[in-house]
Amino acid sequence: MNIVYVEKVSKEYQLGATVVKALKGVDLAVEGGEFMAIVGPSGSGKSTLLNLIGCIEKPTAGIVKVDGVDVVNLSSNELAVIRAGKLGFIFQTFNLLPVLTVAENVEYPLHLKPVGSKEKKERVDSVLKEVGLERFSAHKPAELSGGQRQRVAIARALVGSPSIILADEPTANLDHKTGTGILELMRGINKKFGTTFIFSTHDQKIVTMADRVVELRDGERAGD
Amino acid sequence: MYLRLAFKNIFRNKTRSLITLAAIAFGCISLIIAGGFMENIFYQIRESYIRSFFGHIEVNKTGFFEKGVAKPFDYMISGPGDVIKKIYSAEHVKTVTPRLEFSGLLSTGETTISFLGQGVDPKTEKEISTAVGIDAGADLAPEDTYRITVGRGLSSAIGAKVGDPLIAVANTKGGAINALDVTVKGVFFTASKAFDDRAVRLPIATAQKLLHTGDVQTLVVLLDKTENTDMVIKNLRDLFKKDGLDLEIKPWYEMADFYTKTVDLYRRQFLVLKLIIAVVVVLSVFNTMNMSVLERVGEIGTVMALGTKKSGVVALFIIEGFILGVIGGVAGLAGGYLLASLISYIGIPMPPPPGATMTWTARVDIVPGLFVYAFVLAIITAIVSSFYPAFKASRLEIAEALRHNI
Ligand SMILES: Nc1ncnc2c1ncn2[C@@H]1O[C@H](COP(=O)(O)OP(=O)(O)O)[C@@H](O)[C@H]1O
Ligand SMILES: [Mg+2]
Repeated sequence: MNIVYVEKVSKEYQLGATVVKALKGVDLAVEGGEFMAIVGPSGSGKSTLLNLIGCIEKPTAGIVKVDGVDVVNLSSNELAVIRAGKLGFIFQTFNLLPVLTVAENVEYPLHLKPVGSKEKKERVDSVLKEVGLERFSAHKPAELSGGQRQRVAIARALVGSPSIILADEPTANLDHKTGTGILELMRGINKKFGTTFIFSTHDQKIVTMADRVVELRDGERAGD
Repeated sequence: MYLRLAFKNIFRNKTRSLITLAAIAFGCISLIIAGGFMENIFYQIRESYIRSFFGHIEVNKTGFFEKGVAKPFDYMISGPGDVIKKIYSAEHVKTVTPRLEFSGLLSTGETTISFLGQGVDPKTEKEISTAVGIDAGADLAPEDTYRITVGRGLSSAIGAKVGDPLIAVANTKGGAINALDVTVKGVFFTASKAFDDRAVRLPIATAQKLLHTGDVQTLVVLLDKTENTDMVIKNLRDLFKKDGLDLEIKPWYEMADFYTKTVDLYRRQFLVLKLIIAVVVVLSVFNTMNMSVLERVGEIGTVMALGTKKSGVVALFIIEGFILGVIGGVAGLAGGYLLASLISYIGIPMPPPPGATMTWTARVDIVPGLFVYAFVLAIITAIVSSFYPAFKASRLEIAEALRHNI
C-alpha cells in the first residue's frame, strides 16, 4: 500500500475575477520510507501539492489518501488529528515559536497527543540528541543560527514519530553548506527510522540526494 | 502547554501588556475606591441618623404610627418601667430611653414661636444621641428640671441665648393649656437642619409636668450593632406577644425615608460607573488581543499545521485574556486596598449632607464584597473581550496564515 496516494488532483484559487489553476490533475504515489524530492520552477505548484498531502488544504477535485485514509472529505478537526498523528512539518522559514525555548518548541506537538510527561521529556531529549542540539534545549530560537533553527524544526517534526515528514523548501533560507547538512540529517533520519520524506526544492545539488525526483511544471507532472 | 504559551506570549510585548494590565487594575481600583467611599458615606449617614433621631428601634403603643399624630395622648405607654426592663432583657440591646414628643409655643415675652418638644431622659438619651452636638452652653443633665436645650435654628429665630428664661406653653392630656417657666441650658445641632429649626429638648419629667401625664410616648432602643436590628425586632415581638403587650415596633430604616431613597439613588449611579469601567476594560483587552492575533498570524498557521485544532487556538487566546484578567485583577485589588487605606488615613473633608449643617470626614471602607465583585468583573470582561479575537484567529486559513512567516 502507498503511504501517500494522489490521483487526478487539481487545485484552483479564485483570485478576484480570475481563476488560478495551481494544480491540474496530478497523480502521485509514494512508497513508505521513500526520500522524495519535488522540483520545479517557482509557481509550478510544489507548495500546493505539499499542502494537499499535508492536509492543510483541500483539493478542488481528485483523491488524496494519507496512510490509507481518504482525507478529502474530512472535517477540519479530523484533519488536525491526522496532522498531529501521522505528519511532521518542516518549513522554509523554520516557524519556531519565538517565546518558547528549543525544548518547548520540540515538545509542542506532543501535547496534542496523549503522551505522559515523563515520556514527553524522554522523547524531546532523544530527538534533540538526534539533531545534535541537546546542549541548546534551554535557548530561545532567536539565539540560534539558521541551520540550528532548522535542526530544531526537524526535531519538532520527528518527535511525534510521524510516518511522513513534509518539508517545503527546507534549505531555501540557508547557505549551501548548511543546507546540505540539513538534507544529510533528514536523509539520516529517513534511513534510521524509515520515515517517509517528501521535500520540495529548486537546488539542483540537493536534488541528487533524493531517491526519487518528481518534477512539476505549471501545475502538471513533467515526467519522472 | 497552552497555559505556558499564553503566559509567555503575554510577556512578549511588555509595554502593551502593561498598559492593558494597568487598565484592568485601574478599573478594579476605581470600583473599590468609589464603592468603598459610597458605602462609607451610607454608613456614616445611616449611623448619624440612628444616633440623632431614631435609635435602631422605636417601640410605641399599637396604632401610634398610623393615628398618633392626630391623637398623641391616645397612644401612650403607661408604666414604661416594666417595658423598659423587658426590652433590656433582649440580647444586643445597649440602651433604652423614653421620649415624649409634643408641640407647643415658646415665648421670650416679646417673640413667640411654635416648637417641637422632645422630652428625654438626659442620662440614657446621651448614650443614643451621640451625633447630637452642642453649640453653646451644655447638654441636659439628669438632675435638671425646668431647663431646656434648643436647636440651632430655633435659637437664632427666637433670639434665645444660654441662660435666657423662656415660657413653654402646650396642650395638656386633658385638653387644657399649661405653661411652664424654663431656662435655656444649651444650643444643639443634629444632622438635620429642619429638626434643628424647630426642636426643643427638655427632661422628660418636665415634659410630663407640662402635659399633665405620667406616660411616655416612645421607647427608643439602641443596639450594639446596626446589623442586629432585624434579629432583635423578631425577639422583641415574640417577647411582647408572650406577655400580651399591646406594642408596635419600627426599625430605623422604615423611619429614615430620606436615607433609603438616597442610598437607592446612589446605588443606581454606581451601576452606571460599573458599566463604564467594564467598557473601558473590554475595549482595552479587546485591543490588545486583536493586535496579538494580527501579529501572530504566521504562528497561528504554524501551530494549526502542527495539528492544533481550532478550539485549541481559541483556548490559547482566551487563556491569555484570562491571565491578563487575573494579573490585572490582583494588581487592582492590591492597589485598591492600599489606596483605600491611604485615603481613609488622610480622610476626605465633606460638606454637610442635604438638610444637615455639619461638615464631616468621609473614608473609604474596605468592602470584601466589592473586592470579589471587582476581581470577578476583571476576569469576566477580560475573557469576554478575548472571544472575538480568539474566534478570528481560529478562522484563519492555515496555508494563508503560513505565508505570513517571512
Ligand atoms: N492562496 C492562493 N491564492 C491564489 N493563488 C495561489 C494561492 N496559492 C498559490 N497560488 C498560485 O498557485 C500557483 C502555484 O503556487 P505554489 O504551489 O506556491 O508554487 P511553488 O511552491 O511551486 O512556487 C502559483 O501561480 C500561485 O500564485
Ligand atoms: Mg512554494
